[in-house]
Amino acid sequence: MKLLFKTILKHYLKYITKFVLFIRRPTIIVVAGSTNKPFVRDEIKRVLEAAGKSVRANPKNFNTEIGLPLAVLNLPSGYNSYKNWLPIIFKTWAKILSKNFPEFFILMLGTSDPGDIKYLLKIVKPKIAVITDITQRYLEGFSDLDELVGEYEYLVKKLPSQGLLVLNNENNRIKNLSKLTKIKTVTFGVNNKSDFSVAQITKTSQGQLATIEHGDKKKEYEINRFGLHHIYAFMIGLIIKQYVSQEEFQDSK
Amino acid sequence: MFNRTKNLQLSTIKQIELRASRYPDCVSLAQGVPSFDTPNCIKRRVEKALKRGVVAKYSLSPGLPELRELIEVELAKENMFYDWQNEIIITAGTIEGITATILAITEPGDEIIIPEPTYTSYREVIALAGCKSIFVPLNEEKGWSFELGSYEKAITPKTKAIFYCNPNNPTGTLYAKKQLLGLARLAEKYNLFLISDEVYKDFIYGPGRGFFSLAEIPELRKRLIRIYGFSKAYAMTGWRIGYLHSDESIVGEILKVHDCLVTCAPVISQYAAMGALEMGESDIKKFNLIYEQRRELICSRLDRLKHIFSYVKPESSYYVFPKIKINNPDSWKFALDLLDNIQVAIVPGIAFGPNGEGHVRMSFGRNEKDITEAFNRMEGYFKKIK
Repeated sequence: MKLLFKTILKHYLKYITKFVLFIRRPTIIVVAGSTNKPFVRDEIKRVLEAAGKSVRANPKNFNTEIGLPLAVLNLPSGYNSYKNWLPIIFKTWAKILSKNFPEFFILMLGTSDPGDIKYLLKIVKPKIAVITDITQRYLEGFSDLDELVGEYEYLVKKLPSQGLLVLNNENNRIKNLSKLTKIKTVTFGVNNKSDFSVAQITKTSQGQLATIEHGDKKKEYEINRFGLHHIYAFMIGLIIKQYVSQEEFQDSK
Repeated sequence: MFNRTKNLQLSTIKQIELRASRYPDCVSLAQGVPSFDTPNCIKRRVEKALKRGVVAKYSLSPGLPELRELIEVELAKENMFYDWQNEIIITAGTIEGITATILAITEPGDEIIIPEPTYTSYREVIALAGCKSIFVPLNEEKGWSFELGSYEKAITPKTKAIFYCNPNNPTGTLYAKKQLLGLARLAEKYNLFLISDEVYKDFIYGPGRGFFSLAEIPELRKRLIRIYGFSKAYAMTGWRIGYLHSDESIVGEILKVHDCLVTCAPVISQYAAMGALEMGESDIKKFNLIYEQRRELICSRLDRLKHIFSYVKPESSYYVFPKIKINNPDSWKFALDLLDNIQVAIVPGIAFGPNGEGHVRMSFGRNEKDITEAFNRMEGYFKKIK
């Protein structure tokens, strides 16, 4: 019974969400990878909101077949309770007509089994994809690392020609993903072969001072969090900010 | 032989529990264990991990990356910023975190200052490390608060750390921000570590009461080790799972000891902790409301025994620490009298330090039925011996 309910719920949420996104047509940015997704999601949200955009991102771990549609529809989970799910199911209809619909979605995509990304991409059509890292985390659902990487390859191939791909240049598996597409690709990392690279990091009592290089420009930023992953998240924020403002400039011409 | 262990004692709480187990009809307000079972959402998360076959192997020594990442996110919501890759260790309960910390930061002969009365096992861990506990009494007249002047007086060249439990077990005191900042100033002045055990921080009573941790102050990150456990908040005492965090320069050293002690925290419990953080928020709120009702119940029953007990109403945790209002009270004898005569188990105050003598600890982690039955028995007993 539980399995039947879950299957019906999954398909119901999928089609409602597809319908809402088809009508509203927001810009969708997806964040995929084994680590660092929540920090990247938060940084992109911060950057876009600071630029005056309306943004919605998935809360907590809402990044799977049921969580992702809930994130788009801005609804809570009923977890394991039929009673909790009933009002949520009714509320999905109100979301179709809701006036409060954002311009941008930042959605983390989770993958723990083969085909997860393919399923999620049947619901959302991203314009921008960020791949943070690929590690052995969540590998247990796959036969080997190649099969896990295949999930991200599918994502890259599904991006539209005018889209953007943001890749971690420190991971060879991720670097190779750029060969699968001709769309604009921007890389980040510690090494100076990346489009955005970290030239220097100084730890302070309040966080980190990071000198970031991009082209012939070099600038020091204060990041009030600890750990390299926050510098990566910050660079991704810079990349998205630059891309969105360039797009706006193109549109206004 | 046994030079390291000969002066260690099995904690008084455990001695009382052992003795109480001889009485089948015993009602225990002794153990600091929640009456609830672990929430279903946590069990489901564990079932899923079991089915996926991911719990049989060791994790990395500091813990599963996904759990540490989740903890970083949760800490940030409480204004504490730590790098999950280098500054967070998942431990086998708080006591393993405490042991690893003390073994890492001290040398034999060092002194550690402890506000007391406080949790019994601290002093045994300190003794195990070859160090000495220096007890500084809390002021009962001022609601079991710190007397900062006494701490400064207790500091010697051998002092390595000040180790406190906030909210405090057994008094249920929530230390004021101003007092904690005073401790931090002392730590800065005398170059001391601060160890903060915050295992009860989720149970705070009364409107508008917030919780402040010194770990919110970035300037203290190279001085402060904060320890937290899932046991109390999520009714998970049997899972033995917690975590600690501090600056990477300290955590790197603690990790070496943690690796020697346990290799890694039990992986199945790490998945349970993930379930707790992902889905357990509403259960904590529910537990908090129930404990608040039980606090009112236990306080109203203590009020009916005003000739026997006086008490400071706890602001947090699930303990009350009443004073025994008889001449020269011996808390150990008092607790044994109750256990042997009416089969009510409580913990003698002396277990929590010299300043705890003359008091007993009662837990309202137990359910209403147990609290009511224990007090019915006590009322009958005290009437008889009047």
